Amino acid sequence: MLGYLTRVIPRRLAAFLVVAAHFLLPSAVQAGQINSTVSTRVDFYPDHADGTASEGRSVEVKVEGYHDFDESRLVGEFVGRMDAEDSGRRIIEARQAYFRTPLAGFDFFIGNRQEFWGKAESKNVVDVINQSDAAASQGKSAKLGAPSVSAERYFDFGDLQLWYISDFREKTFNDSDAHPSAGLPVTTVSFERDDGADADDFAARLSTFSGNWDFAASAFYGTARDPIVSTSSSGAALQHHYPLQRSIGLEAQFTGDATLLKWESLHGHQGSSDFIAGVTGVEYTLYGVFGRIWDLGLIGEIQHDDRPQSAADQFGVGGVRLTVNDVADSSLLLLVSADREADQTLVSLEATRRLNEWTSIELSGQFFNARTPSSSFGLLSDDDAVTLVLDVFF
Amino acid sequence: MKLTRLTFLAVMAALSVGTIASASPEKGLEIATEADNRDKGFGDSISQMTMVLRDRYGQSTERSIRNRTLEGSDEGDKSLVIFDTPGDVRGTAFLSHTKKADTDDQWLFLPALKRVKRIASSNKAGPFMGSEFSYEDIASQEVEKYTYNYLRDDSLNGMDCFVVEYDPVDPKSGYSTQIVWMDKAEYRLQKIEFYDRKKSLLKTLTYEGYNLHLDKYWRADRLLMINHQTGKETELLFADWELQTGLRERDFEQNALKRIR
Repeated sequence: MLGYLTRVIPRRLAAFLVVAAHFLLPSAVQAGQINSTVSTRVDFYPDHADGTASEGRSVEVKVEGYHDFDESRLVGEFVGRMDAEDSGRRIIEARQAYFRTPLAGFDFFIGNRQEFWGKAESKNVVDVINQSDAAASQGKSAKLGAPSVSAERYFDFGDLQLWYISDFREKTFNDSDAHPSAGLPVTTVSFERDDGADADDFAARLSTFSGNWDFAASAFYGTARDPIVSTSSSGAALQHHYPLQRSIGLEAQFTGDATLLKWESLHGHQGSSDFIAGVTGVEYTLYGVFGRIWDLGLIGEIQHDDRPQSAADQFGVGGVRLTVNDVADSSLLLLVSADREADQTLVSLEATRRLNEWTSIELSGQFFNARTPSSSFGLLSDDDAVTLVLDVFF
Repeated sequence: MKLTRLTFLAVMAALSVGTIASASPEKGLEIATEADNRDKGFGDSISQMTMVLRDRYGQSTERSIRNRTLEGSDEGDKSLVIFDTPGDVRGTAFLSHTKKADTDDQWLFLPALKRVKRIASSNKAGPFMGSEFSYEDIASQEVEKYTYNYLRDDSLNGMDCFVVEYDPVDPKSGYSTQIVWMDKAEYRLQKIEFYDRKKSLLKTLTYEGYNLHLDKYWRADRLLMINHQTGKETELLFADWELQTGLRERDFEQNALKRIR
């Protein structure tokens, strides 16, 4: 029944409800707001292989709104993305389209939701609720809404979340001639669970904090978010297989004066194997560097993931985050990742700056390197990218 | 117990303590405590704030911010700041649980990620939103966070004022000292001079447009911070003050950040 309900909150209906409620209901008893963002993006691929795109152009429109009804709220966040060449990046998505109401001391949600679990910076292995909209190449912020019924309640001992996710969303991928891509089309998608994409997922999380420490523990039973990728027998296509995942997630963070210590780990079973995935690290901030009001954050993290979906068992990540603290909120993030043998490396750079009250600009780059051509990063060797995004806010 | 400088320090009236002829730490503490006592019982407050940043050439830029404050009892106040403009930070929220003697707990809500992030709060001297106000300037001001020294009486804009030296207890403060002008009639902050760690005059903050709410609580509608070393200034314009609105503890828990709009 619940699964049926989440399926019949169709995205277009939810969008209509949010907009209609906002404009039609008496403003004296309700409150609400609608905002939108238009993001124009240009990508350059300096090392693109023959037959693949040398550049990309896309426009994304995001419309967000909500409307309050006393203690209840209708929320919508809709994303439409057009790409000149890459059909994998095109999407119309209800990233959020849910109704929230208090019930029996809980906040009760029904519809598509986006949630974040985790503490680390470079990777969040415990963040299992949403599927990634990976084709968007927007990092952690691009997710697909989870069609779900969920409940949250704040107790004296912490915040409890209970989740039932009624439908599985497949990860999005770029076209084989777009970037990043392994260069082969995905022709087959299979599931370990008999119900395939209709199989139900369940999750729960308890989070709390005491003094300088934050803790969280979570449990998940459902379809793994990342597929195991294999090459077809002909070698001309890729196959995606989504196994069943049962896992426990653990999170901790120590917040010191200028030091953050972070831990998150996922312990579980997938397919026929046990696995452990985790990220631990430190972020230390130097305030007022170079004799100015700039802040410099030093980031160091170690990633471990022995699942076949991971590019390597271990990655070390080091980087700096420069916050200029100027009127334009200028910032720069540089991260370097390398596996244990330094066979595969990734350098990523991100610079952002506000142009005026309604416009901001982001320049980013990512550069893959691998000594072994058949490694995960080796397959991405032509996917180095320089990206310029202009966001206009309405 | 509070005195949120953001929402703020316009406060307090009366117990006349009489004029004192010479510098006195006891008298300084007495004045600060009285100012604090006069603002007790406001419960919670809501206000709209426009932050106007001007550079030395007079070019200005604005931010729209909503403030919510919950009065603390045993511990300090809890405050929530929500950004409406500029567009790139729209929906971002900053939650602070002030501690009287310990480091404040602070969280940031990042709307694109739906992520609530605990952040280190030791960057007291850092600028808030690129303005001339630092994080410690906008934090809730607890009596325990300073030592005091009454300096003299003075007249400011026609008002009889106490002049009190506030010395930050926390060595991470960006200031060596603050010189505070507080009117004797209502114990409201009128002017603060901030001295940097080298004991040079860094900034001056002035308060204007005090209004009385619920017949007891004073709130200023205009704060102007001038940085003498950079020539920049930041003006905070407050509107739509509401006190005792019924905000609850759960509205200031970290997971409440996700419900805010």
